[in-house]
Amino acid sequence: MPTQLKELQSLLYRLITAPSGVAEGLAAERSLGAGGLDAIVRGDDRLSAEARVDIYANMYFYRILDALKEDFPATLAVLGDDNFHNLVTGYLIQHPPTEPSLYYCGRHLAEYLRAHPMRERAPFIADLAALERAIVEVFQSRDAAPMEPDALRSIAPADWPAMKLKLQPAAQILALDWRVSDLVRAVEEERAWEPLEPRAVKVLVWRHGTRVFHRELEVVEADTLDAIVRGESFAEICDRVAVRDSDPVSWINQMLARWLSDGLLARR
Amino acid sequence: MKRSDFPMLGYGVGLRRQHYGHVLEARPKVDWFEVVSENFMVAGGRAIEVLEGVRANYPIAMHGVSMSIGSTDPLNREYLLQLSDLARRFQPAWISDHLCWTGVGGHNLHDLLPLPYTEEAIGHVAARIRQVQETLERPILIENVSSYMAFADSTMNEWEFISAIADEADCGILLDINNIYVSAFNHRFDANEYIDALPAERVVQYHLAGHSDHGTHLLDTHDHPVRDEVWALYERAARRFGAVSALVEWDDHIPEFAELAAIADRAREIFDANAAERTAKPALSADHRA
Repeated sequence: MPTQLKELQSLLYRLITAPSGVAEGLAAERSLGAGGLDAIVRGDDRLSAEARVDIYANMYFYRILDALKEDFPATLAVLGDDNFHNLVTGYLIQHPPTEPSLYYCGRHLAEYLRAHPMRERAPFIADLAALERAIVEVFQSRDAAPMEPDALRSIAPADWPAMKLKLQPAAQILALDWRVSDLVRAVEEERAWEPLEPRAVKVLVWRHGTRVFHRELEVVEADTLDAIVRGESFAEICDRVAVRDSDPVSWINQMLARWLSDGLLARR
Repeated sequence: MKRSDFPMLGYGVGLRRQHYGHVLEARPKVDWFEVVSENFMVAGGRAIEVLEGVRANYPIAMHGVSMSIGSTDPLNREYLLQLSDLARRFQPAWISDHLCWTGVGGHNLHDLLPLPYTEEAIGHVAARIRQVQETLERPILIENVSSYMAFADSTMNEWEFISAIADEADCGILLDINNIYVSAFNHRFDANEYIDALPAERVVQYHLAGHSDHGTHLLDTHDHPVRDEVWALYERAARRFGAVSALVEWDDHIPEFAELAAIADRAREIFDANAAERTAKPALSADHRA
């Protein structure tokens, strides 16, 4: 590996990603020779060497900032431009991009927010970012053929107890402490959102065709979907529902119809 | 590797999300599409469905932004295998990426950074292009980038650098006409000299795009129409290189599709108008028009 080239690239990386800018980054570089940056990057009467590196530093930050704004529109709406800008500055120090696609840049943002002072201003902000990230992930997750609405009719009665349902691989069930689904929808629809209150809730995020949907789950439905994901049989699921609902047969029939119509079930 | 190893696709447009619906439903009259490879290196969903629909009706080329061919990090094998899978599935006319580095130390800057024009860099990059071509089992094209910094260690100019790498790696060149103009302004070199010096048989594709003027420098923002000065350079290239597939890139403040198609048409008209003056023999034939 070419040593000179590696040293040059490492230096430029440090300067471009220096949190307080190229000038402060340069001040921290002890190993630069007498000529400083000018001995490495050519400056001229129009732009100094430092100003030229600064162009790259700005492009680095703003390209990622723009990508994160696109992926987290509700988080941005709650925090406002300046706070979001500051959030991303800190986030990139802790989680600099490592993957070839910008798609991955926001994958740690919710986790980062869980320990961030901005939670004092908006205690639901980490949950909000988690839902927005799930929407992005579900949008481009693996495809699977949906179960046809009449597919269940072809199952012989004797086969029902052992039958196992399968969720679309793109579906995610999030366990959140705040009811943030409505806030995401409000921002999508460009309307004001209601104040949020803390309440443990499970949110289903799934894709039907190429559109992503999300909705809060009642406790029984959440438990049932979790059981499906774990691979429990239809008989086990019915037993589970029977102790939670007064009319389990009717409830399961309703749910099956809804899941099929929503495209949530995958072909077995 | 020579240009005639590749099809002449004609005059195309970069496929962007804002136009997915229009391209799939209206099937606009345009010769071909270039797709950004990374946008489709995903497991499933809308992107893959769109690409299947587009590919059913048009030839495509795959254009990447993250190969980081000039980095001193090891080549990203996982990335290359994903790229190879995508190419196997969608059969592009060719695969291209940029003559640059995008990160180091396992980190990605998501930007196209220039290299010093040195013998050391030529050897390093050419060896890596050869590895990539072995993995992908095809020659690739490398694109000249717009740059805002140049290095004191450089011992040659940019066109000598890209020509030497293309020769040593035996790969093609994706010549971004706007990038030549932008870099020529930023580093005060003669853009005409650049075009006149390149090995004609290696130029397989052009990019045409707009830039923004910041007074002290030009930025390759792909958010404006192609400037007259860039059209003049394209005309010079068209006269010198003959039939080369051309592609309109527009990435920000994206206009209606018709405006992009009109730019592609203008590129065709300029090529046709200069047919008599070309110094290189055109390779365009009915067979080549996919």
